[in-house]
Amino acid sequence: MTPNGAVLFVVILIVAAMLADLPGLVVICAVAAAFAVLETRENAWSALRRAALLVLPLAAFMLAIWVGLIGKSPLEIESGLPGSRTSALLYVATVSLRLFLIVFVLQAVLLCFADESPFSVIRSLRAPLGVKRLLVLTLSLIETLRHAVGRSHMALVASGVITRRLSLRNLGHGWILIQSVWLTAITTVLGRLRDKWPAENTLALLEPALAQQERPMCARDRVWHLVALAAALFVFGRLILGTA
Amino acid sequence: MAQRNVLAGANFSGRSAALRALLQSDALVGKAFLIGPYAEAALSGLTNTVRDEVALYGMQTPNGGNCFAAENFAEMQLRDPQSLSGGEQVMLALHCFSQSAYRTIAVDTAFEQLDPTNRAAALDHLRTCDADIFLIDNRAAPEGFTATPAQPQAREFSIDWAALAALSAPQKAAGISITNLNFNYPGTARIFVNAGIDLEPRHAYRVSGANGAGKTTLFKILVGALAPDTAEMTLGGQTYRPWRDGNRALALATQNPDQQWCGATLREDMTRRRRIATRHGNAERISDERLQSYTRALGNVSLDAHLYELPLAARKRLSWSWPFAGVHPWILLDEPTVGQDRATRESLARHLTLMCEQGYGVLFVTHDDEFAASLPHRVLLVANRAITLR
Repeated sequence: MTPNGAVLFVVILIVAAMLADLPGLVVICAVAAAFAVLETRENAWSALRRAALLVLPLAAFMLAIWVGLIGKSPLEIESGLPGSRTSALLYVATVSLRLFLIVFVLQAVLLCFADESPFSVIRSLRAPLGVKRLLVLTLSLIETLRHAVGRSHMALVASGVITRRLSLRNLGHGWILIQSVWLTAITTVLGRLRDKWPAENTLALLEPALAQQERPMCARDRVWHLVALAAALFVFGRLILGTA
Repeated sequence: MAQRNVLAGANFSGRSAALRALLQSDALVGKAFLIGPYAEAALSGLTNTVRDEVALYGMQTPNGGNCFAAENFAEMQLRDPQSLSGGEQVMLALHCFSQSAYRTIAVDTAFEQLDPTNRAAALDHLRTCDADIFLIDNRAAPEGFTATPAQPQAREFSIDWAALAALSAPQKAAGISITNLNFNYPGTARIFVNAGIDLEPRHAYRVSGANGAGKTTLFKILVGALAPDTAEMTLGGQTYRPWRDGNRALALATQNPDQQWCGATLREDMTRRRRIATRHGNAERISDERLQSYTRALGNVSLDAHLYELPLAARKRLSWSWPFAGVHPWILLDEPTVGQDRATRESLARHLTLMCEQGYGVLFVTHDDEFAASLPHRVLLVANRAITLR
């Protein structure tokens, strides 16, 4: 799959997932699973694990609130119906599955390009230069924060303020790590903005670098687009029939 | 005819300010390649791999076709530039410059991070390339460069070494022994394989080796910031695992001082360290009163000054206040002389000698042979995934 094909595939599936009811989500789930297994192979498990790690805590929280505490779904509250825990459970399952699917699809697509650098993926996108530049700068900021976490963690562990392992001290001093990360990140960004980038006009280098190597979509992309469109049509069909 | 300039002067003589003003002048703004003292001013910060960093700069016509150190990066194409060692980052920056269309390059003390071989190669490259060069370097002025003195600034941050020596309290360092040390970063070649060292107190050890050999990694393991795959470590004959139980014996001053702070001001930084030091019984060594004396001696800086607003060379000096305070008996200094003028380097060597006599143990990483020669020491060579006492 190419990056451009992946973007379109993700957009179709996410829009469909946002509108789908439970049967629609099941169909999208099947498409996403097939995509993950066929396109990312052994990385499919990683995508599944990451999506579960992100969504499970939220699902557990919603379960406790809607099923345990409130005991009815938002629709029932809105309509003034007595409601039941079963419908609340159905509501939580639908929302959680929708979130899970969106995260899973995004993760699976990102893992398709695990062998490529983010910069080369952005470079091969067919998108306006401004959008590509924004993506590179966003990733640069994320990377800066990631390194700031590493550096600050090292500094605080070396000084004994926090420990490498789980500890009560970390619980009390965790906020120092956050302060330290921000200070490090801000210093790094200011260093670049003040010295390196203006001296070199570094950002202007992005223009020729990003303008090249756009990769057109391939036949494999189109197959996945057709599959995603079929799933989306199923969702829209149910939506129209349900409304009628 | 290309210009080859060295901006000469001691610390705080206005060299970096002069260089910045030059790079912001109408003639040069946006046209000069800059290799600053640390990563944030050496690499673009826009890419995640060495290959992309080179591609970013190499999209234009190569600079004279004289590619610098291409072989060094052939096997590092997928490495994250920020994960390279300080010296490797400088080499990469120069490699990128050699691939770019820039006709001017400014280097602010960055070459001081290079080992002698790489430093000679870097200077040779600059001598042969057809570009204007503006260099700040505290080591011997390279041949073929014209020295331009900078205008002194108002503030000097000079160190009162006599006061610092008077503040230094005796210690009783215990011997450190490591055997069976194995370590590798995920996805990279092994750094240490069955390595071992024995460190005796009252001695200084120079941790030597090429850029990227693992010197800083060794320091990070010793202070417990990195956990080795395997290692048996003892302190005074007792099992000591700082990566598991916390560091209580080694005070580290990092290569980049900004990677060391635990707060925005020195007072905040030291107050936090003091709370931890209380557990080991040495907290009085960084009492407010003593800290005031230390900061007076290390450049007359207020304890409440915002660290990141001070000049880099001043921050570097303040970063020594933690190891010099004597809370821990072992002192680890990673490239302490980078960005420091000759007078400071000579005095630092004398002070470290004094601390060894007072019972401390000292480990330092430096590529500055002149500094190392002025301090009695033993050499720990980090090479071929082993550590050898020379």
